[in-house]
Order: sequence, then structure tokens, then C-alpha cells
Amino acid sequence: MAKSKAGLLQGTLDMLILKALSLGALHGYGIGQRIAQISGDALKIEEGSLYPGLYRLEQRGWVQSEWDISDNNQRAKFYKLTRAGRKQLILEERNWERLAGATMKALRAS
Amino acid sequence: MSRIRATINSIRVRRHPDEIAREVETELRFHIEMRTRANIEAGMTPDEAQRAAVQSFGDFDNVKARCCETRRSFPFNTSLLRMGLHITIAALAGAAALWTVNTPHHSLSSLLSQLGFVAVLTCLFVVARRKQKPHRQ
Repeated sequence: MAKSKAGLLQGTLDMLILKALSLGALHGYGIGQRIAQISGDALKIEEGSLYPGLYRLEQRGWVQSEWDISDNNQRAKFYKLTRAGRKQLILEERNWERLAGATMKALRAS
Repeated sequence: MSRIRATINSIRVRRHPDEIAREVETELRFHIEMRTRANIEAGMTPDEAQRAAVQSFGDFDNVKARCCETRRSFPFNTSLLRMGLHITIAALAGAAALWTVNTPHHSLSSLLSQLGFVAVLTCLFVVARRKQKPHRQ
């Protein structure tokens, strides 16, 4: 599958970040890695675009961050999902399934 | 609760913009360093790895500016708050003007001080209106 060169739609990126964090707290680099991993390397996030997305989600109260020490003993900012973020992820997943279902239905129409 | 925390953070960011810019920069540089390490593990020389990491990250300054801008913004729509502030200042200026007109003045200095009060409120209103930025997406 082709990499997303032009970047994912903003809503999709938000949903993927929330999904990655639903599996545990991560720093920004780790989030990009986890998204690639759970999508079977099909989705590659534009690395720079990840951070404005993360800050936006934090402003909305869906993730929260704190500085901690990473595996390689460096200071890193770790993000985790809040309760509001978990609810938002459920909503986003439902919306996505509905949209994907409707799009498939339209494409299969003869 | 998270929104309250985000609001407190926004206020903190406005008071210490340099500190936040440094924090954002540290975070972004950590990312590039992690990518560089991964590139070296994948077989690149350190120089190649660093170049590739910087390239794959994209426009560092632009990303940093966007992050700082997002941190500065409040996690709610401030237009209603601004409108309320404008109305309050305008109402205070109007009330002060009426008070000045309807109060008998025994000295020039008391008249001038009341007019000065009205002028200050009017200036506040104008400044508040000018500070209102266009809506960004």
C-alpha cells in the first residue's frame, strides 16, 4: 500500500494517535512507530505533522503529557489517553466504521 | 478536568513563552535523535542517518511554531468571552459618560478627571477590539 505522502486527513490522524495511545503511554516518536506497527507498516505518519496533532489533542483534553525518562535514559515527553480521550476514540471509531461502510456501499453500487 | 488543566497550561504558556518554546524544541530534537539512532541501526553512517532524520521530520521551525501556537491557544472558543468583555467596557464607558453629563461640576479638575475616566475606558475598548485576531483554522 502506498505511503501517505500528502498526509492523512486531520480527523484520521487524531483517531490514529488516540488508538496508538489506547495501548499505553508513549512519546511522540513511539506513537509514530506504533501507528506504523499496528497498521502493518501500511500507514506512515509524516513525522513533523504528528506533533501539532498531539498538542491539539492535549488542548482538547483528550491526551495529557508529562516528562519522564525514556528507555535510553533521555528526558522525553510521554503522552497518555485521558478518560475523555477514550470516549472520543470510541466515537471516532464508530464514525469511521459508518463512513467506511457507506463508502463501500457506494462503490459497490452498480 | 483535562480542559481545566489545558486552560491553566495555556495561561502558563502565555506567561513563559520562551520556556515553552525550549520545551517544544527539546521534544522535537528527541524525535530526530531517536530517528537518527534507528537509521544508524538500519545501516546508515551517522552523518547519513542524521541527514535522513532531519529530512524525514520536515520543516522543523514550522512544526515548532505550530506547536507553540497550539499551546498558546485556549481549549475553548474565546469569542464569547471577548464579546462579553467588549460589552462590559462599552457599558462602563457609557455609564461614566452619562454620569459626567448629569453630575454638577464644581471644579474643572473634577470634570477633567471624569472625562479622563471615559477616555481610558474608550481606549480600553479600542485596544480590546484591535487585539481580536481573525479566526484561524
